[in-house]
Amino acid sequence: MAKPVVKKEYTFLERIYLWEIVKGLKLTFKHFTFNFKESLKKGPHTVPTCWQYPEDRRPIAPVFRGAHMLCLDDEGRELCVGCGMCARACPAKCITVKRGKPAEGEEGKYAGKTMSTEFTIDMLRCIFCGFCEEACPKGAIQLGQEYELAEYTMDACIYDKERLLANFQKAKAEGKLKPPKKPVPVAEGDKKAAAKKAAQKPAGKEATKSKKATSKPQAEEKKASESKGEET
Amino acid sequence: MDNWVIALIKVVFIWTWTLLIATLMTWVERRGSAMMQDRLGPNRAGPFGLFQPLADGIKLFTKEDIIPEKAHKILFSLGPILFALPAFSAYAVIPFGDKLVVNGKEIILQVADVNVGFLYVVALGAMAVYGIVLGGWGSNNKYSILGGLRSTAQLISYEVPFGLSLLAVVLVYGTFSLREISLAQQGTFLGFLPNWGIFKQPLGFILFIVTAYAEANRVPFDLPEAESEIVAGYHTEYGSMRLGLYLFGEYVNMYTLAALMVTLYFGAWHLPYIDMSKFLGPVSYGIASFLVFFLKTAFFLWLFVWVRWTVPRFRYDQVMGLGWKALIPLALVNLFITALCIQLTV
Repeated sequence: MAKPVVKKEYTFLERIYLWEIVKGLKLTFKHFTFNFKESLKKGPHTVPTCWQYPEDRRPIAPVFRGAHMLCLDDEGRELCVGCGMCARACPAKCITVKRGKPAEGEEGKYAGKTMSTEFTIDMLRCIFCGFCEEACPKGAIQLGQEYELAEYTMDACIYDKERLLANFQKAKAEGKLKPPKKPVPVAEGDKKAAAKKAAQKPAGKEATKSKKATSKPQAEEKKASESKGEET
Repeated sequence: MDNWVIALIKVVFIWTWTLLIATLMTWVERRGSAMMQDRLGPNRAGPFGLFQPLADGIKLFTKEDIIPEKAHKILFSLGPILFALPAFSAYAVIPFGDKLVVNGKEIILQVADVNVGFLYVVALGAMAVYGIVLGGWGSNNKYSILGGLRSTAQLISYEVPFGLSLLAVVLVYGTFSLREISLAQQGTFLGFLPNWGIFKQPLGFILFIVTAYAEANRVPFDLPEAESEIVAGYHTEYGSMRLGLYLFGEYVNMYTLAALMVTLYFGAWHLPYIDMSKFLGPVSYGIASFLVFFLKTAFFLWLFVWVRWTVPRFRYDQVMGLGWKALIPLALVNLFITALCIQLTV
């Protein structure tokens, strides 16, 4: 039952407004003096509630979903195998992938047996949901921390493969790569049984159930990809 | 001929000074409100964003001057002029300092010492409402007309206590001349209190400051504008420098009212307990009196901004209720008590 509204009887001081106004003035003055003092201090971001954007930037969480990048492994090989899972998972249908075989003598450039001959992301349509990242079996596509994506032409907003690889190189140089995903610990014995169980369950229930059940199949994939790529 | 030159210099000086203060107040308002709301405000143009008003002025001047197709052309263009003109001319009778003695010639720091200066200010203050109403009517816009309507309704509820509280001051000092009132506030009375209006008319001052906020259309009585209710009220349809005149006139009005508060209730250019004219030279005394007067005015200007960002807006009927049921009876009581005291003491 809703709480009954009790109307408060105003005191005389409250009814003549003036004292309450003085109280309010005191409060605003406190804010004013505090912010005034802080704004006179040297250095960026002195007023705690105000970021002066181009100079001060808020810290970004490592799992931030910004501009995409196509990752390379430690030996500099492209991780992407061109399977098209990301394009399939994408709700905005902004990814175009074409699979191909690496040319003669260029096999060393790619981690897998196949590669993507074309990989474009239409950033005008991307909604930065991060599904592509989750769908990728090789951990090849990742969303980085870049968020200043304005361009002068629409064509420049369609990122091709070179640009996506360059994004990775830039993020690597700046040390902004995502931390490797932690594998979820699974007991050895019932690993297969749990995976089977999880697969049988409808997708909706899975999410609400315990962590283990949802992340097992993923964790296996991740483990596989990590053992191939990053841990070598 | 000499007097003409001096008068002209005074007019030009106070005109530019008022404009300068009004310009500066837009900056103070924006930065001050920002600081109160934990923001920073415009701080990019020049040091501390001080050139922001300049940039705004240039913007307003260079914008296209639009008159809506269905607006009443004459009233629409007359509105801002009728609003700004009284605002600019009201300061003429308010002193801005004591006097300056140059080459044995005494210059009173006041454009015109009119012996009914008081009535002149009140009359011009009421005139400004015409600008709002005509602008609102001429715009042919529902929000504008609502703003103008509110302005008139507000006028009849605050103008009476405004006049009555001023009448009590007239009773105390026995004159309508603002300069004579200022001069009468020197020294002390009852032995320890400075001879200021606030100590003789405490209730009158509260009534005056409340009605002055309504007169200047400032929060908590900015009903004609009320941007959260009726877009921008009377100046919804205005743009470019016509809008600039409205905004500017508001700040000039504020300056005039703040100066009036200082003149009537806070001892004009007098410092409490200290008589500056005794130990300062004639020229430096003139400048000092001007500065003291301005500093006091500046505080009240700041109070306008301070109150604006503290108090929420009154509802339409609440303003009426406050005006008719609280302010007018109080003003009458104040007037009665003042008259009684004067009758008993004289």
